[in-house]
Amino acid sequence: MSFLIDFSILAFLVITAVTIARLRDLWAAIMFTGIYSFLCASWMLILDAPDVAFTEAAVGAGISTVLMLGTLKLTGNRVPQCKRVRIMPLGLVITTGLILGYGTLDMPHFADPQAPIHLYPSPSFVERALHDMHGLPNIVTSILASYRGYDTLGETTVVLTAGIAVMLILRRDKTSSGDSVGKDSAGKGATK
Amino acid sequence: MSVWDLFSWVLLISGSIFSMIGGFGIVRLPEFYSRMHGAGITDTMGAGLIVAGLMCQSGLSLTTLKLVAILFFLLITSPSSCHALARSAMEHSFMPGVDLYPSRRTESKLPVREEKGTESA
Amino acid sequence: MKTFPIIRIITKILIPYILLFAFYVQFHGDYGPGGGFQAGVILASALILYGLVFGLHAVQRVAPPRTIEKMMALGVILYAGTGFLTMFLGGHFLDYEMLEHDWLADYGVPAGQHLGIFLVECGVGITVTAVMTMIFYLFAGRRRVA
Repeated sequence: MSFLIDFSILAFLVITAVTIARLRDLWAAIMFTGIYSFLCASWMLILDAPDVAFTEAAVGAGISTVLMLGTLKLTGNRVPQCKRVRIMPLGLVITTGLILGYGTLDMPHFADPQAPIHLYPSPSFVERALHDMHGLPNIVTSILASYRGYDTLGETTVVLTAGIAVMLILRRDKTSSGDSVGKDSAGKGATK
Repeated sequence: MSVWDLFSWVLLISGSIFSMIGGFGIVRLPEFYSRMHGAGITDTMGAGLIVAGLMCQSGLSLTTLKLVAILFFLLITSPSSCHALARSAMEHSFMPGVDLYPSRRTESKLPVREEKGTESA
Repeated sequence: MKTFPIIRIITKILIPYILLFAFYVQFHGDYGPGGGFQAGVILASALILYGLVFGLHAVQRVAPPRTIEKMMALGVILYAGTGFLTMFLGGHFLDYEMLEHDWLADYGVPAGQHLGIFLVECGVGITVTAVMTMIFYLFAGRRRVA
C-alpha cells in the first residue's frame, strides 16, 4: 500500500519535471515549480523528515514562487521555441543520468541500521543524544546545533553570503526615486 | 468496528470523491471562472471532509484540537486565495464568457462573445 | 491587492497566527520538528504576505531595509559569539558544557546544552528571516526592464 503512494508521488515528480522543461509559457512553468516543491515536501514527509518537509514547503512552494513571479516582471512571459534538436547535450545528460542510476545500486537500503552513515564515526549519536542533552527529545536539532554545530555555523554564513551577493547584484539604480534598498549596501560593498 | 470508525470511513471516502470531482472539474470545465468552482470544491469540501474524517479517527485527544486548528486555517485561506485569483482576473478585465455556447437561433439578441482564450492576461 | 476588502481582512486576521506559529517552531525546536531555519522562513513568509497585500512601502515601514541589513549580520554574530563566549569561559569553540550555571535554576532559565542550542537557533532564525526578507525587497523593488 505504501508502495502505491511512493510510486505515485515519484511518478508525479518525474512528470512535473518533464513538463517544466517542455513548457514555453514561463508563468505556467513557475506554477509547476510550485507543484514540484509541494510534491518534494510530501515525499520528504513520507521519508519521516518533517523538519525538512516544512522548510521545503515554505521556501519552495511559497517564497520561491513569489520571487520567480517577481523576476517575471523583468523578463518576458514566453520562451521562444528552440528550432533544432541538439543531440550531444541530450546524450551527455542521459549518460550522466544512467551512471548516477548505476551508482545508486550500491547504496544501502533506506533505514538500514548497518549502513555506514549510522556506524561512522560512532553508532552512539542516537544512543547518547538523550543523555548528553539532558533530556531534549529532538535528536535532529541536537545533532544540528550541538554535535555538528560548527557545520551549522558554516551554513548560516552561506545564507548570509547569499543575501549579500543578491544585494550586490540587484542594487537599485541611482536614478530611481523613493526609498533606496540597495544604495547603502552598494556603497558599503564598494568601499570594502 | 465502532460507530466512529464507520463514520470516519464515510467522511474520508466522500472527501476523496469530492476531491476527485474538483480535480476533474479543473481539467475539463471550459473557462477560467468555471474552473475556479472546481478549485473551490477541492479546497472546502474535499479537504474539509478528509480532515473531519481524521478527527473522527483520533477520537477526543490533542490531535483533534490540532486538526481543528488546521481545518480552521484551511477554510480561511483556500477560499480567500480563490477569491484573490478571481478578483485579480476581473480587475484585469478578463471577463467571464457568459454566452459561451450561443443557442442556434437565427437572430440572437445577445452579443455572442467568444472566449477570451487561455493566453496569459 | 489593497483594494480587495476580503483579502485585506483575512490577511489582518491571519498574520498574527503565522507569527505565533513561527515563534512556536523556533522555541520548540528542541522538542519537536523545528528549529532556526524553519522559523526563519515562516517569519519571512508572514512579512512577504503583508508586502504582497499591502504594498512594498507598507512592509518597508514595518521592517525597514536598513534594520534588515543589520539583522542579517546580527544572527551570525550571535552564533559565532556563543562560540567565542564558550572559548572565553575556558572550553573549546562552541562547547556548550561551559554554559552550565545555576542562576534561577528553579525558574527554568536553561543551562548548558539547552542554553547553547537556544542561542544558536536564535541566531540562525534571525539571519534566515532577514536574508529572505531582503531578497524579497530586492526582487520586488525592481522596475520592469523588458
